[in-house]
Amino acid sequence: MNYTYSPGWTTAVREVIIGATPDEGGTRRISYRIGGEQDLPFIGSSGHKPLIAFEICDDPAIWPEVVRCACTKLIDRPADWAAYADTVLRADLIRINLTSTKRRNFSDFDGVIKTVKSILAATSLPLLIEGSADLEIDSEVYQRCGEAGQGERLVLGTAEAARYRSVAAAAIAYGHCVIAQSPIDVNLAKQLNILLREAGVADDRIIIDPYTGALGYGFEYTYSTMERIRFAALKGDMDLAMPLISAPSDSLTVKEVRESVYSHEAAIAWEVATSVAAALAGAVILVVRHPGSVPPLKEAIDTLWTEKEGV
Amino acid sequence: MVSVDEAVSAGIKKIATEIEAITSLSGYPETAYHLPITYAISGKAVSDAASAKKVYLDTNRSPLIGNEILVAAGDRTEDPPYTGFIEDSIIRKLGYSLVDGSILGLALIVGNPEKADHAAAICRELQEKLMLTFLAGGVIRSLTGAGVKVGLELRLVPLGKTSLKAVHFTDILARVAMMFGGVAPGDAHRLVSYAADRAKAFVIVFPGMTEEEIACIDALRVLGIPVLHMGGYEGGNFIRVALPDAVRTGMEMRGIRVQVTAIPIPMACSPAFEGKAIRKEEMYAEFGGTRSPAFELLRTADQKEVTDGKVTVIGPEIDQIPEKSAAPLGIIVEVTGKAMKKEYEPVLERRIHNFINYGEGTWHSAQRDLIWVRISREAVSQGIKIEHLGKLLAAKFRMDFPTLVDAVQVTLITDPERIIGERKKAEAVYQERDERIAGMKDSDVDLYYSCTLCQTFAPNHVCVITPERPALCGALTWLDGRTAYEMSPAGANQPIGRGTVINADTGEFEGVNRFVRQASHGEIERCVLYSIMDAPMTCCGCFEAVAMILPETNGIMIVTREYKGVTPSGMTFSTLAGTIGGGAQTPGFIGISKGYILSDRFIQAEGGLSRIVWMPSVLKEELGNRLSEKIQAAGLLGFYEKIADETITTDIEGLLTFLTSVDHPALNMPPLF
Repeated sequence: MNYTYSPGWTTAVREVIIGATPDEGGTRRISYRIGGEQDLPFIGSSGHKPLIAFEICDDPAIWPEVVRCACTKLIDRPADWAAYADTVLRADLIRINLTSTKRRNFSDFDGVIKTVKSILAATSLPLLIEGSADLEIDSEVYQRCGEAGQGERLVLGTAEAARYRSVAAAAIAYGHCVIAQSPIDVNLAKQLNILLREAGVADDRIIIDPYTGALGYGFEYTYSTMERIRFAALKGDMDLAMPLISAPSDSLTVKEVRESVYSHEAAIAWEVATSVAAALAGAVILVVRHPGSVPPLKEAIDTLWTEKEGV
Repeated sequence: MVSVDEAVSAGIKKIATEIEAITSLSGYPETAYHLPITYAISGKAVSDAASAKKVYLDTNRSPLIGNEILVAAGDRTEDPPYTGFIEDSIIRKLGYSLVDGSILGLALIVGNPEKADHAAAICRELQEKLMLTFLAGGVIRSLTGAGVKVGLELRLVPLGKTSLKAVHFTDILARVAMMFGGVAPGDAHRLVSYAADRAKAFVIVFPGMTEEEIACIDALRVLGIPVLHMGGYEGGNFIRVALPDAVRTGMEMRGIRVQVTAIPIPMACSPAFEGKAIRKEEMYAEFGGTRSPAFELLRTADQKEVTDGKVTVIGPEIDQIPEKSAAPLGIIVEVTGKAMKKEYEPVLERRIHNFINYGEGTWHSAQRDLIWVRISREAVSQGIKIEHLGKLLAAKFRMDFPTLVDAVQVTLITDPERIIGERKKAEAVYQERDERIAGMKDSDVDLYYSCTLCQTFAPNHVCVITPERPALCGALTWLDGRTAYEMSPAGANQPIGRGTVINADTGEFEGVNRFVRQASHGEIERCVLYSIMDAPMTCCGCFEAVAMILPETNGIMIVTREYKGVTPSGMTFSTLAGTIGGGAQTPGFIGISKGYILSDRFIQAEGGLSRIVWMPSVLKEELGNRLSEKIQAAGLLGFYEKIADETITTDIEGLLTFLTSVDHPALNMPPLF
């Protein structure tokens, strides 16, 4: 049987550059160009090979138990933790989650900026910063983070429909990118991108986070939303033609992982399986937290995106 | 009294003469934008007197550029507290606060106030309203003399000793436009539109400015920045305002709105309480519900007649109303707003129902002059009064409709005599509205509205809402769609340009097809609005009723959500709903609102009303007279009785026998297939 594949795509996903080398005005040793897909993964042009981001935090109290056990010595030293992710785990990107800002009555803005600066000094990989999630303190947190990383083309998160102004302002004022997160809904993703544009964020500074449910706990919903975002983009909807990021952090707190006798193996299996599936749906940044997840995920990605497929 | 026109033309000449005399000039070291205003307007990086003079001439002696050159060439040193030129890194933070919303807008105050407390009052109000205020000239000495502290951190920025230093306010605007607005240096057109649309700024001037200063301030109007004064000037385009109105007027002119976040009443207020009823035993007093006269009306009023937040109670307060009694209640909400339109009135009025129900101890039902309101004994014991209903409404309308409504005032009438006359006036308004909406035809407008709210569960479903075809859930009319779009331009209701008419009878429009194709993510190619057979509208799952063909009868049946029994199709409503929902396009089946049945466009492609062969009696009764009127207007004498219901039959054979016995018109219509 002859089968011709002619999906009728008209548009490529926008490219977004993250991180800045000295030539580009920053201090990173590498910058990445993500996006640019003209088709679905493994059909036609696959676009760029997905990147692996390792996520650390500055206050481990709310970090998953299983990761705290795996990173015992590093858990209170974000700069060393970042260096470890860079040189030992060989992640492509580092994400610092400023969990300290999520504590009640947080006010140590200086401390947070000190942490961000120490991480920028400890690793020369491009940095993603996940900031506060409280309108009361957002303004100050994002302004200070933006300023601390001026020139580095950070990726700042997370913008949501109800609170995106501070993240947007920091991206515009200090030249960073934004992660736009919506609750597994293609239309809300589109609406948030429009709101960000109206606030003044350039389209090539936006990365969509469609929100990643854990495998077995709604991931199929995420998968189909990612696909639909990508279909819309390829068919010409420029409001959705942005690269996708997936952070399956919910995977580490599901019952199967929490209660498993082999919790590390379970955590890794859950994170890797979810991430690979997200990559197949089109995600180009995969964020993991368990150190054991990086090598198998890397292997899976390398196997899938062989030299001739990847760019 | 200074004539603005004369001062401006004299000032422009003086500036030109003074620029002639300049011998040396240098750029500002603290910025990457040279002389920022000059750079933004002309794209030229001025660094010496000769290049400055050339740009000044090339821009036809722009007073804005002239002002900047004069100040740059003059004495730039400023002693504390004056800031003088402000460096880029601080502007970046300022711009951040503007985008971020922690600063709502910018104000500039110049001149020499005769009374320091006048300036102090204005500054205090600006601080309270989250504005960032720049000061230049004698006003700063007046303020500090009166004990007002100034400084960037206090949001009162003292730029310099003379009003001419107001130029630093303008160079900040220019830099914000280049840093944040993507305005390229030299693109004066973009600069002007950015300043007018995004930089929400206004100027308040006191008397005692020189002619040059007046000319420079007047030139700010080019950037869409209004200049207000409280006396001392006449003519020109300076706007005279009374002192207490100055800040409010400036903010209203620039569309700057202070967000209301708290409702000042002694009762919890949240959507969480919306479903809570107040039973007779819990009630302190009730209003309306046929027990006493009551009504509600929302209307737009002239800006001058509305004081934001003002609540007036005409008649007895709650403590003079006996417990367990029924008292009259008239609710009149008056709103103003630049974007407010008369057509929005009924849509907003409908929200009174939600808002009163948000109150933990207040309950509301029905609409217009049929309302029924109760206040609980517990709420009254906690201090709730009639007045607080007004406060609640005023605050909620401001909170929920910030882009439509600038000011809200509420009048509550509990006086048994006054209410009768006011109710009569309200009834006239209701009637006028009904006529306006009832009269609207699909062909009267070029824009329809979409609704994709249900795409969360029906991923490719797109509702097209027209004046004659409400959303299939029955909850949104065309006017509601339009209001929703204007309130949330990036939201789920988008305008659909009808475009070329492909077929007016079947309701196929090129623009609708294009929109549906895109919004359904390429799934649906065509959407024929008035057809059940040819590319009908998709269904989400919220439809009030299902219309489906019964091939044996050459007609259609309609079944509503309320009807639980079996239908001649052999299926119940819920089985049918499960079959056609989810965003699918199923020829032969449509999800509809009840209102659409009474529309002249109802399945017009297939012949309309006379196709109906069966509907449940509950629906028949609900449509009642309105359906009879439609039947009469269509000249279908005796048709009402020819529509079968479950009391006649619920199976197809029985239905066919009945239809033949009454000679139902569908039997003789053109075949559906």
